[in-house]
Amino acid sequence: MPLRRGRVGRVGVIGHPVAKTAVVAKAVTPGPSPVAKTAVVAAAVTPGRRRRRI
Amino acid sequence: MTDATSLDELGPVDYLVVEFPAGASNFTGEMVTELLALVDSGTIRVIDVLILTKDADGAVEAAELSDVGELGALEAVEAQLAELLAEEDVEHLAAAMDPGSTAGVLIWENLWAAPFASAARRSGGQLIANGRIPIQAIIASIEADEELATEGA
Repeated sequence: MPLRRGRVGRVGVIGHPVAKTAVVAKAVTPGPSPVAKTAVVAAAVTPGRRRRRI
Repeated sequence: MTDATSLDELGPVDYLVVEFPAGASNFTGEMVTELLALVDSGTIRVIDVLILTKDADGAVEAAELSDVGELGALEAVEAQLAELLAEEDVEHLAAAMDPGSTAGVLIWENLWAAPFASAARRSGGQLIANGRIPIQAIIASIEADEELATEGA
């Protein structure tokens, strides 16, 4: 199915070829299970939890 | 001519490409439900949608949302699309896809951010950086913290 004519010949908005993002489920490093990792990440962004040590 | 007022009130515009590897798609309508919930709550405005397919040889074909057939609840969204993406964007976006996959491309305006962005501009502020923190980076940071704690113990 072709694109609508209005899309042809125009300057794009993306600007450059897009690289594939690492798939999160596959990018988790070996160790605790992905479920455990998710819990840890969630804890790290829990309201009120401050990790900054400046 | 550009409408300066509406441009000033435009929220940040984002895109994503969701890939469905060959044989892995499982469309239950759940994605449509969640997307419509975001639209109905005024969180986002959908600007453009394309469906891309990349064959085993890497050839890319693009389809409009209206080509999908029966849109159901998505009809109202389709009627409001702005067709922001150009033909050359298709090639750029499809570069991320694996051969044999199908992908949905979604462009949206973050309506929730528009009032804050306008207020920042009216206050004399200017956006000098923005971005997204990948979950992987958060995991790496936590792991580094844990490693430091272990070494220090």
